[in-house]
Amino acid sequence: MMSLARWMGANFMLAGLLALSGCGYNDLQGLDEDTKAAWSEVINQYQRRADLIPNLVNTVKGYAAHEKDTLEGVVQARAKATSVQVTPELLKDEAAFKRFQDAQQSLSSALGRLLALAENYPNLKADQGFRDLQSQLEGTENRITVARKRYIDKVAEFNKMVRYFPTSLTAKFLLHMDEKANFTVADEKAVAKPPEVKF
Amino acid sequence: MWLMRRAGWAVLAGWLWVTLVPSLPARALNVPPLSGRVVDLAHVLPPATTTQLSETLQAHETKTSNQVAVLIVPSLEDEPLFDFSHRVATTWKLGAKGTDNGVLLLIAIKERTIRLEVGYGLEGVLTDARSAQIIRNDIAPKFRAGDVPGGVTAGVLAVLHTIEGTYQAPEPPPAFHSKGEVIANTIFAVILGLGIGLFFSRAHRVVGPVVGGGLSFLVAPWVVPALIAGAVSLVLISLMGGMGNAMGGGRRSRSGPFDDTWFSSRHGGWGSGGLGESFGGSGGFSGGGGDFGGGGASGDW
Repeated sequence: MMSLARWMGANFMLAGLLALSGCGYNDLQGLDEDTKAAWSEVINQYQRRADLIPNLVNTVKGYAAHEKDTLEGVVQARAKATSVQVTPELLKDEAAFKRFQDAQQSLSSALGRLLALAENYPNLKADQGFRDLQSQLEGTENRITVARKRYIDKVAEFNKMVRYFPTSLTAKFLLHMDEKANFTVADEKAVAKPPEVKF
Repeated sequence: MWLMRRAGWAVLAGWLWVTLVPSLPARALNVPPLSGRVVDLAHVLPPATTTQLSETLQAHETKTSNQVAVLIVPSLEDEPLFDFSHRVATTWKLGAKGTDNGVLLLIAIKERTIRLEVGYGLEGVLTDARSAQIIRNDIAPKFRAGDVPGGVTAGVLAVLHTIEGTYQAPEPPPAFHSKGEVIANTIFAVILGLGIGLFFSRAHRVVGPVVGGGLSFLVAPWVVPALIAGAVSLVLISLMGGMGNAMGGGRRSRSGPFDDTWFSSRHGGWGSGGLGESFGGSGGFSGGGGDFGGGGASGDW
Protein backbone atom coordinates (compact mmCIF):
# COMPACT_ATOMS: atom_id res chain seq x y z
CA MET A 1 0.00 0.00 0.00
CA MET A 2 2.74 2.31 1.03
CA SER A 3 4.77 1.43 -2.01
CA LEU A 4 1.83 2.13 -4.28
CA ALA A 5 1.43 5.58 -2.79
CA ARG A 6 5.12 6.19 -3.15
CA TRP A 7 5.04 4.97 -6.72
CA MET A 8 2.18 7.30 -7.57
CA GLY A 9 3.92 10.14 -5.81
CA ALA A 10 7.01 9.55 -7.87
CA ASN A 11 4.95 9.58 -11.02
CA PHE A 12 3.29 12.82 -10.07
CA MET A 13 6.67 14.32 -9.35
CA LEU A 14 7.94 13.20 -12.72
CA ALA A 15 4.89 14.64 -14.47
CA GLY A 16 5.32 17.88 -12.56
CA LEU A 17 8.96 18.08 -13.50
CA LEU A 18 8.18 17.44 -17.11
CA ALA A 19 5.55 20.15 -17.09
CA LEU A 20 7.60 22.75 -15.27
CA SER A 21 11.24 22.31 -16.05
CA GLY A 22 11.15 23.39 -19.67
CA CYS A 23 12.56 20.12 -20.83
CA GLY A 24 10.75 20.67 -24.10
CA TYR A 25 8.62 17.54 -24.00
CA ASN A 26 5.55 19.25 -25.40
CA ASP A 27 7.52 21.45 -27.76
CA LEU A 28 9.27 18.44 -29.21
CA GLN A 29 6.04 16.54 -29.64
CA GLY A 30 4.41 19.58 -31.25
CA LEU A 31 7.30 20.20 -33.61
CA ASP A 32 7.39 16.53 -34.53
CA GLU A 33 3.77 16.79 -35.62
CA ASP A 34 4.46 20.07 -37.42
CA THR A 35 7.31 18.59 -39.43
CA LYS A 36 5.12 15.65 -40.37
CA ALA A 37 2.37 18.00 -41.51
CA ALA A 38 4.86 20.09 -43.48
CA TRP A 39 6.22 16.93 -45.06
CA SER A 40 2.72 15.80 -46.03
CA GLU A 41 2.29 19.07 -47.86
CA VAL A 42 5.55 18.50 -49.74
CA ILE A 43 4.39 15.04 -50.78
CA ASN A 44 1.00 16.39 -51.65
CA GLN A 45 2.44 18.94 -54.06
CA TYR A 46 4.85 16.46 -55.66
CA GLN A 47 1.90 14.14 -56.12
CA ARG A 48 -0.06 16.94 -57.72
CA ARG A 49 2.73 17.46 -60.17
CA ALA A 50 2.84 13.76 -60.96
CA ASP A 51 -0.92 13.83 -61.57
CA LEU A 52 -0.57 16.58 -64.16
CA ILE A 53 2.01 14.73 -66.21
CA PRO A 54 -0.08 12.11 -68.08
CA ASN A 55 -2.28 14.88 -69.43
CA LEU A 56 0.70 16.95 -70.42
CA VAL A 57 2.38 14.05 -72.17
CA ASN A 58 -0.79 13.29 -74.13
CA THR A 59 -1.20 16.90 -75.18
CA VAL A 60 2.38 17.11 -76.39
CA LYS A 61 1.99 13.78 -78.20
CA GLY A 62 -0.83 15.31 -80.22
CA TYR A 63 1.60 17.77 -81.78
CA ALA A 64 4.99 16.13 -81.49
CA ALA A 65 4.47 12.38 -81.38
CA HIS A 66 7.87 11.75 -82.94
CA GLU A 67 9.76 13.24 -79.99
CA LYS A 68 9.69 9.78 -78.46
CA ASP A 69 12.83 10.03 -76.35
CA THR A 70 11.78 13.09 -74.42
CA LEU A 71 8.25 11.82 -73.91
CA GLU A 72 9.49 8.42 -72.76
CA GLY A 73 11.96 10.11 -70.44
CA VAL A 74 9.18 11.99 -68.69
CA VAL A 75 6.97 8.94 -68.37
CA GLN A 76 9.80 6.89 -66.91
CA ALA A 77 10.95 9.60 -64.53
CA ARG A 78 7.38 9.96 -63.32
CA ALA A 79 7.03 6.23 -62.77
CA LYS A 80 10.26 6.21 -60.79
CA ALA A 81 9.34 9.26 -58.73
CA THR A 82 5.93 7.90 -57.78
CA SER A 83 7.38 4.52 -56.83
CA VAL A 84 9.61 5.90 -54.06
CA GLN A 85 8.01 5.16 -50.71
CA VAL A 86 7.24 8.26 -48.68
CA THR A 87 6.39 7.12 -45.18
CA PRO A 88 7.20 9.36 -42.20
CA GLU A 89 10.06 6.97 -41.42
CA LEU A 90 11.69 8.29 -44.56
CA LEU A 91 12.39 11.51 -42.69
CA LYS A 92 14.76 9.73 -40.31
CA ASP A 93 16.51 7.84 -43.07
CA GLU A 94 18.98 10.07 -44.89
CA ALA A 95 19.55 7.57 -47.70
CA ALA A 96 15.87 7.05 -48.41
CA PHE A 97 15.31 10.78 -48.26
CA LYS A 98 18.06 11.27 -50.80
CA ARG A 99 16.53 8.66 -53.10
CA PHE A 100 13.26 10.53 -52.95
CA GLN A 101 14.95 13.83 -53.71
CA ASP A 102 16.91 12.40 -56.61
CA ALA A 103 13.84 10.82 -58.15
CA GLN A 104 11.93 14.11 -57.97
CA GLN A 105 14.94 15.97 -59.27
CA SER A 106 15.26 13.79 -62.35
CA LEU A 107 11.54 14.20 -62.98
CA SER A 108 12.07 17.96 -62.82
CA SER A 109 14.78 17.86 -65.45
CA ALA A 110 12.80 15.51 -67.70
CA LEU A 111 9.89 17.93 -67.47
CA GLY A 112 12.19 20.81 -68.23
CA ARG A 113 13.33 19.08 -71.42
CA LEU A 114 9.75 18.43 -72.44
CA LEU A 115 8.74 22.05 -71.98
CA ALA A 116 11.83 23.34 -73.74
CA LEU A 117 10.88 21.13 -76.66
CA ALA A 118 7.50 22.84 -76.84
CA GLU A 119 9.28 25.99 -77.98
CA ASN A 120 9.80 24.34 -81.36
CA TYR A 121 6.12 23.71 -81.94
CA PRO A 122 4.16 26.95 -82.34
CA ASN A 123 0.87 25.06 -82.69
CA LEU A 124 1.48 23.28 -79.42
CA LYS A 125 2.38 26.52 -77.70
CA ALA A 126 -0.84 28.10 -78.92
CA ASP A 127 -2.97 25.16 -77.76
CA GLN A 128 -5.30 26.31 -74.96
CA GLY A 129 -5.09 22.97 -73.17
CA PHE A 130 -1.31 23.02 -73.26
CA ARG A 131 -1.20 26.59 -71.99
CA ASP A 132 -3.45 25.71 -69.08
CA LEU A 133 -1.36 22.67 -68.25
CA GLN A 134 1.76 24.76 -68.44
CA SER A 135 0.41 27.30 -65.97
CA GLN A 136 -0.81 24.54 -63.68
CA LEU A 137 2.61 22.98 -63.79
CA GLU A 138 4.28 26.29 -63.07
CA GLY A 139 1.91 26.86 -60.14
CA THR A 140 2.66 23.40 -58.83
CA GLU A 141 6.40 24.02 -59.02
CA ASN A 142 5.83 27.17 -57.00
CA ARG A 143 3.74 25.29 -54.47
CA ILE A 144 6.50 22.71 -54.18
CA THR A 145 8.96 25.52 -53.50
CA VAL A 146 6.73 26.93 -50.76
CA ALA A 147 6.04 23.53 -49.22
CA ARG A 148 9.73 22.67 -49.22
CA LYS A 149 10.65 25.98 -47.66
CA ARG A 150 8.11 25.48 -44.89
CA TYR A 151 9.37 21.97 -44.33
CA ILE A 152 12.97 23.17 -44.22
CA ASP A 153 12.09 25.80 -41.61
CA LYS A 154 10.16 23.35 -39.45
CA VAL A 155 12.85 20.71 -39.58
CA ALA A 156 15.50 23.27 -38.71
CA GLU A 157 13.44 24.23 -35.67
CA PHE A 158 12.92 20.59 -34.73
CA ASN A 159 16.56 19.64 -35.20
CA LYS A 160 17.67 22.55 -33.06
CA MET A 161 15.53 21.32 -30.20
CA VAL A 162 16.88 17.82 -30.65
CA ARG A 163 20.43 19.10 -30.36
CA TYR A 164 20.12 21.91 -27.83
CA PHE A 165 20.62 21.20 -24.16
CA PRO A 166 18.56 20.30 -22.13
CA THR A 167 15.88 19.42 -24.65
CA SER A 168 18.40 17.07 -26.26
CA LEU A 169 18.09 14.82 -23.19
CA THR A 170 14.32 14.65 -23.52
CA ALA A 171 14.60 13.95 -27.21
CA LYS A 172 17.20 11.25 -26.77
CA PHE A 173 16.23 9.35 -23.66
CA LEU A 174 12.53 9.96 -23.26
CA LEU A 175 11.18 10.33 -26.79
CA HIS A 176 13.94 8.60 -28.75
CA MET A 177 13.74 11.26 -31.41
CA ASP A 178 16.49 11.85 -33.93
CA GLU A 179 17.29 14.69 -36.22
CA LYS A 180 15.24 14.64 -39.39
CA ALA A 181 16.59 14.78 -42.90
CA ASN A 182 16.36 18.11 -44.67
CA PHE A 183 16.74 19.21 -48.25
CA THR A 184 20.40 19.72 -49.03
CA VAL A 185 22.04 22.93 -50.09
CA ALA A 186 23.15 21.58 -53.45
CA ASP A 187 19.58 20.68 -54.10
CA GLU A 188 18.44 24.09 -52.94
CA LYS A 189 20.69 25.71 -55.52
CA ALA A 190 19.07 23.67 -58.24
CA VAL A 191 15.69 24.76 -56.97
CA ALA A 192 16.62 28.42 -56.60
CA LYS A 193 17.53 28.48 -60.26
CA PRO A 194 14.57 29.88 -62.16
CA PRO A 195 12.48 26.87 -63.15
CA GLU A 196 12.80 25.75 -66.69
CA VAL A 197 9.05 26.05 -66.96
CA LYS A 198 9.42 29.27 -68.88
CA PHE A 199 7.17 30.85 -71.45
CA MET B 1 4.88 52.00 -13.74
CA TRP B 2 3.72 53.25 -17.10
CA LEU B 3 7.15 54.52 -17.89
CA MET B 4 8.70 51.24 -16.89
CA ARG B 5 6.34 49.31 -19.11
CA ARG B 6 7.14 51.57 -22.03
CA ALA B 7 10.84 51.18 -21.41
CA GLY B 8 10.37 47.43 -21.32
CA TRP B 9 8.68 47.45 -24.68
CA ALA B 10 11.40 49.60 -26.14
CA VAL B 11 14.06 47.17 -24.94
CA LEU B 12 12.10 44.24 -26.32
CA ALA B 13 11.63 45.97 -29.66
CA GLY B 14 15.31 46.80 -29.82
CA TRP B 15 16.23 43.24 -29.04
CA LEU B 16 13.89 41.90 -31.71
CA TRP B 17 15.35 44.33 -34.20
CA VAL B 18 18.90 43.30 -33.43
CA THR B 19 18.18 39.58 -33.47
CA LEU B 20 15.76 39.35 -36.36
CA VAL B 21 16.92 41.88 -38.89
CA PRO B 22 20.40 40.53 -39.65
CA SER B 23 18.90 37.10 -40.29
CA LEU B 24 17.09 38.38 -43.36
CA PRO B 25 18.96 37.66 -46.57
CA ALA B 26 20.71 40.76 -47.75
CA ARG B 27 19.75 40.40 -51.39
CA ALA B 28 16.02 40.48 -50.69
CA LEU B 29 14.04 43.46 -51.79
CA ASN B 30 12.21 45.04 -48.89
CA VAL B 31 8.52 44.34 -48.66
CA PRO B 32 6.93 47.75 -49.00
CA PRO B 33 4.48 48.81 -46.30
CA LEU B 34 0.85 48.07 -47.01
CA SER B 35 -0.24 51.68 -47.37
CA GLY B 36 -3.47 50.90 -49.17
CA ARG B 37 -5.17 48.46 -51.47
CA VAL B 38 -3.27 49.89 -54.43
CA VAL B 39 0.41 50.49 -53.78
CA ASP B 40 1.93 52.15 -56.82
CA LEU B 41 5.62 52.61 -56.12
CA ALA B 42 6.44 53.09 -59.79
CA HIS B 43 3.97 55.99 -60.12
CA VAL B 44 2.40 54.69 -63.27
CA LEU B 45 -1.23 55.06 -62.23
CA PRO B 46 -2.99 58.43 -62.28
CA PRO B 47 -4.45 59.29 -58.84
CA ALA B 48 -7.99 58.93 -60.19
CA THR B 49 -7.36 55.31 -61.18
CA THR B 50 -5.79 54.53 -57.82
CA THR B 51 -8.75 56.00 -55.97
CA GLN B 52 -11.27 54.26 -58.14
CA LEU B 53 -9.53 50.89 -57.90
CA SER B 54 -9.21 51.23 -54.13
CA GLU B 55 -12.91 51.95 -53.83
CA THR B 56 -13.83 49.02 -56.06
CA LEU B 57 -11.60 46.71 -54.02
CA GLN B 58 -12.97 47.99 -50.75
CA ALA B 59 -16.56 47.51 -51.91
CA HIS B 60 -15.66 44.00 -53.02
CA GLU B 61 -14.16 43.21 -49.62
CA THR B 62 -17.22 44.54 -47.80
CA LYS B 63 -19.42 42.31 -49.88
CA THR B 64 -17.34 39.14 -50.06
CA SER B 65 -14.55 39.48 -47.46
CA ASN B 66 -11.98 38.76 -50.20
CA GLN B 67 -8.94 40.99 -49.89
CA VAL B 68 -7.38 41.93 -53.20
CA ALA B 69 -4.39 44.27 -53.42
CA VAL B 70 -2.26 45.67 -56.22
CA LEU B 71 1.46 46.35 -55.96
CA ILE B 72 3.44 48.03 -58.73
CA VAL B 73 7.20 48.20 -58.26
CA PRO B 74 9.71 49.92 -60.53
CA SER B 75 12.08 46.93 -60.44
CA LEU B 76 12.56 43.54 -58.77
CA GLU B 77 16.30 44.20 -58.37
CA ASP B 78 17.23 40.70 -59.54
CA GLU B 79 15.00 38.87 -57.11
CA PRO B 80 12.97 36.11 -58.78
CA LEU B 81 9.42 37.27 -59.41
CA PHE B 82 7.77 34.45 -57.50
CA ASP B 83 10.02 34.81 -54.44
CA PHE B 84 9.22 38.48 -54.11
CA SER B 85 5.55 38.14 -54.81
CA HIS B 86 5.09 35.29 -52.34
CA ARG B 87 7.04 37.20 -49.72
CA VAL B 88 4.92 40.30 -50.16
CA ALA B 89 1.68 38.33 -50.07
CA THR B 90 2.61 36.41 -46.92
CA THR B 91 3.94 39.54 -45.23
CA TRP B 92 0.83 41.54 -46.00
CA LYS B 93 -1.30 38.53 -45.04
CA LEU B 94 -4.05 39.37 -47.49
CA GLY B 95 -7.29 37.54 -46.96
CA ALA B 96 -8.95 36.42 -43.78
CA LYS B 97 -7.30 33.98 -41.40
CA GLY B 98 -8.81 30.58 -41.98
CA THR B 99 -10.39 31.30 -45.35
CA ASP B 100 -7.12 32.61 -46.84
CA ASN B 101 -9.04 34.53 -49.48
CA GLY B 102 -6.47 37.08 -50.58
CA VAL B 103 -5.10 37.93 -54.01
CA LEU B 104 -2.07 40.02 -54.89
CA LEU B 105 -1.54 41.47 -58.34
CA LEU B 106 2.14 42.35 -58.66
CA ILE B 107 3.59 44.26 -61.58
CA ALA B 108 7.30 44.92 -62.08
CA ILE B 109 7.76 47.68 -64.63
CA LYS B 110 11.43 47.25 -65.52
CA GLU B 111 11.25 43.47 -65.87
CA ARG B 112 7.89 43.76 -67.64
CA THR B 113 6.53 40.89 -65.58
CA ILE B 114 3.15 40.34 -64.01
CA ARG B 115 2.19 37.93 -61.25
CA LEU B 116 -1.09 36.98 -59.67
CA GLU B 117 -0.52 35.48 -56.24
CA VAL B 118 -3.58 33.59 -55.10
CA GLY B 119 -4.35 32.66 -51.48
CA TYR B 120 -5.06 29.07 -50.49
CA GLY B 121 -8.76 29.70 -50.18
CA LEU B 122 -9.21 31.03 -53.70
CA GLU B 123 -7.02 28.52 -55.56
CA GLY B 124 -10.16 26.55 -56.37
CA VAL B 125 -11.81 29.32 -58.39
CA LEU B 126 -8.94 31.54 -59.39
CA THR B 127 -6.95 28.54 -60.61
CA ASP B 128 -3.45 28.75 -62.00
CA ALA B 129 -4.87 28.36 -65.50
CA ARG B 130 -7.47 31.08 -64.94
CA SER B 131 -4.82 33.39 -63.47
CA ALA B 132 -2.64 32.85 -66.50
CA GLN B 133 -5.58 33.61 -68.78
CA ILE B 134 -6.28 36.88 -66.96
CA ILE B 135 -2.66 37.92 -67.32
CA ARG B 136 -2.49 36.83 -70.95
CA ASN B 137 -5.85 38.08 -72.15
CA ASP B 138 -6.81 40.99 -69.93
CA ILE B 139 -3.63 42.62 -68.69
CA ALA B 140 -0.76 41.98 -71.11
CA PRO B 141 -2.45 43.23 -74.32
CA LYS B 142 -3.27 46.60 -72.71
CA PHE B 143 0.24 46.86 -71.27
CA ARG B 144 1.71 46.14 -74.68
CA ALA B 145 -0.40 48.96 -76.07
CA GLY B 146 1.05 51.24 -73.41
CA ASP B 147 -2.14 51.48 -71.36
CA VAL B 148 -0.92 50.48 -67.88
CA PRO B 149 -3.88 51.94 -65.93
CA GLY B 150 -6.30 50.20 -68.30
CA GLY B 151 -4.44 46.90 -67.95
CA VAL B 152 -4.39 47.04 -64.15
CA THR B 153 -8.09 47.91 -64.03
CA ALA B 154 -9.00 45.17 -66.49
CA GLY B 155 -6.94 42.65 -64.52
CA VAL B 156 -8.47 43.62 -61.19
CA LEU B 157 -12.00 43.48 -62.60
CA ALA B 158 -11.35 40.06 -64.13
CA VAL B 159 -10.02 38.80 -60.79
CA LEU B 160 -12.98 40.20 -58.87
CA HIS B 161 -15.40 38.75 -61.39
CA THR B 162 -13.77 35.33 -61.05
CA ILE B 163 -13.72 35.18 -57.27
CA GLU B 164 -17.08 36.84 -56.73
CA GLY B 165 -19.46 34.54 -54.91
CA THR B 166 -16.84 32.25 -53.42
CA TYR B 167 -17.14 33.73 -49.97
CA GLN B 168 -19.75 35.83 -48.31
CA ALA B 169 -18.81 38.56 -45.91
CA PRO B 170 -19.50 37.43 -42.37
CA GLU B 171 -22.82 38.56 -40.90
CA PRO B 172 -22.57 42.12 -39.63
CA PRO B 173 -22.53 42.28 -35.83
CA PRO B 174 -26.05 42.35 -34.40
CA ALA B 175 -27.57 45.79 -34.24
CA PHE B 176 -27.21 47.61 -30.97
CA HIS B 177 -30.07 47.15 -28.59
CA SER B 178 -32.32 50.12 -28.14
CA LYS B 179 -31.34 52.46 -25.34
CA GLY B 180 -34.41 51.61 -23.30
CA GLU B 181 -33.60 47.92 -23.45
CA VAL B 182 -30.05 48.49 -22.24
CA ILE B 183 -31.22 50.67 -19.36
CA ALA B 184 -33.91 48.18 -18.34
CA ASN B 185 -31.43 45.30 -18.40
CA THR B 186 -28.90 47.29 -16.41
CA ILE B 187 -31.48 48.15 -13.73
CA PHE B 188 -32.54 44.51 -13.60
CA ALA B 189 -28.87 43.54 -13.15
CA VAL B 190 -28.42 46.01 -10.28
CA ILE B 191 -31.57 44.78 -8.51
CA LEU B 192 -30.60 41.14 -8.92
CA GLY B 193 -27.07 41.84 -7.71
CA LEU B 194 -28.39 43.85 -4.76
CA GLY B 195 -30.78 41.14 -3.66
CA ILE B 196 -28.30 38.32 -3.77
CA GLY B 197 -25.39 40.46 -2.59
CA LEU B 198 -27.30 41.62 0.46
CA PHE B 199 -28.18 38.05 1.25
CA PHE B 200 -24.49 37.13 1.21
CA SER B 201 -23.38 40.25 3.05
CA ARG B 202 -25.21 38.93 6.10
CA ALA B 203 -22.69 36.15 6.12
CA HIS B 204 -19.59 38.15 5.27
CA ARG B 205 -18.81 41.80 4.86
CA VAL B 206 -16.54 41.50 1.86
CA VAL B 207 -18.04 38.51 0.11
CA GLY B 208 -21.51 40.09 -0.10
CA PRO B 209 -20.61 43.22 -2.06
CA VAL B 210 -18.22 41.31 -4.26
CA VAL B 211 -20.78 38.65 -5.15
CA GLY B 212 -23.50 41.24 -5.71
CA GLY B 213 -21.30 43.55 -7.72
CA GLY B 214 -19.89 40.70 -9.75
CA LEU B 215 -23.34 39.35 -10.50
CA SER B 216 -24.57 42.75 -11.65
CA PHE B 217 -21.49 43.07 -13.82
CA LEU B 218 -22.09 39.71 -15.47
CA VAL B 219 -25.82 40.11 -16.02
CA ALA B 220 -25.77 43.66 -17.37
CA PRO B 221 -25.50 44.07 -21.15
CA TRP B 222 -22.38 45.54 -22.80
CA VAL B 223 -19.22 46.56 -21.07
CA VAL B 224 -19.83 50.08 -19.86
CA PRO B 225 -23.32 49.48 -18.40
CA ALA B 226 -21.94 46.33 -16.81
CA LEU B 227 -19.13 48.27 -15.13
CA ILE B 228 -21.61 50.84 -13.88
CA ALA B 229 -24.06 48.20 -12.67
CA GLY B 230 -21.30 46.28 -10.93
CA ALA B 231 -19.94 49.39 -9.23
CA VAL B 232 -23.41 50.57 -8.14
CA SER B 233 -24.29 47.20 -6.61
CA LEU B 234 -20.92 46.94 -4.95
CA VAL B 235 -21.14 50.37 -3.31
CA LEU B 236 -24.80 50.02 -2.35
CA ILE B 237 -24.31 46.61 -0.77
CA SER B 238 -21.24 47.80 1.13
CA LEU B 239 -23.23 50.74 2.51
CA MET B 240 -26.41 48.83 3.22
CA GLY B 241 -24.61 45.81 4.60
CA GLY B 242 -22.57 48.04 6.84
CA MET B 243 -25.69 49.82 8.02
CA GLY B 244 -27.43 46.53 8.70
CA ASN B 245 -24.46 45.31 10.66
CA ALA B 246 -24.24 48.56 12.60
CA MET B 247 -27.90 48.37 13.46
CA GLY B 248 -27.61 44.74 14.31
CA GLY B 249 -25.04 45.56 16.92
CA GLY B 250 -21.93 45.38 14.73
CA ARG B 251 -21.16 41.74 14.69
CA ARG B 252 -17.99 42.45 12.83
CA SER B 253 -16.72 45.87 13.69
CA ARG B 254 -13.51 45.68 11.73
CA SER B 255 -12.55 49.12 10.54
CA GLY B 256 -13.69 50.03 7.06
CA PRO B 257 -10.57 51.52 5.48
CA PHE B 258 -9.18 48.11 4.63
CA ASP B 259 -12.14 47.29 2.43
CA ASP B 260 -12.29 50.74 0.95
CA THR B 261 -8.73 50.73 -0.17
CA TRP B 262 -9.13 47.26 -1.51
CA PHE B 263 -12.09 48.24 -3.63
CA SER B 264 -10.69 51.53 -4.76
CA SER B 265 -7.47 49.92 -5.85
CA ARG B 266 -9.53 47.49 -7.89
CA HIS B 267 -11.26 50.36 -9.57
CA GLY B 268 -7.95 52.08 -10.08
CA GLY B 269 -6.77 48.99 -11.85
CA TRP B 270 -9.65 49.12 -14.26
CA GLY B 271 -9.29 52.81 -14.92
CA SER B 272 -5.69 52.64 -15.99
CA GLY B 273 -6.19 49.47 -17.99
CA GLY B 274 -5.88 49.31 -21.72
CA LEU B 275 -9.54 49.95 -22.45
CA GLY B 276 -8.81 53.21 -24.21
CA GLU B 277 -5.85 51.85 -26.10
CA SER B 278 -7.67 48.86 -27.50
CA PHE B 279 -10.08 51.14 -29.30
CA GLY B 280 -7.30 52.76 -31.32
CA GLY B 281 -8.67 53.35 -34.78
CA SER B 282 -6.78 51.53 -37.53
CA GLY B 283 -7.97 53.82 -40.30
CA GLY B 284 -5.93 52.23 -43.08
CA PHE B 285 -6.07 48.88 -44.76
CA SER B 286 -4.46 45.83 -43.23
CA GLY B 287 -4.28 42.15 -44.08
CA GLY B 288 -6.55 39.74 -42.28
CA GLY B 289 -4.05 36.93 -41.70
CA GLY B 290 -4.48 34.98 -44.92
CA ASP B 291 -1.85 32.55 -46.16
CA PHE B 292 -0.45 31.82 -49.61
CA GLY B 293 0.86 28.50 -50.81
CA GLY B 294 2.23 29.49 -54.21
CA GLY B 295 -0.92 29.39 -56.32
CA GLY B 296 -1.43 31.83 -59.15
CA ALA B 297 0.44 32.52 -62.36
CA SER B 298 3.17 34.66 -63.86
CA GLY B 299 3.39 36.35 -67.21
CA ASP B 300 5.04 39.17 -69.07
CA TRP B 301 4.34 41.74 -71.74
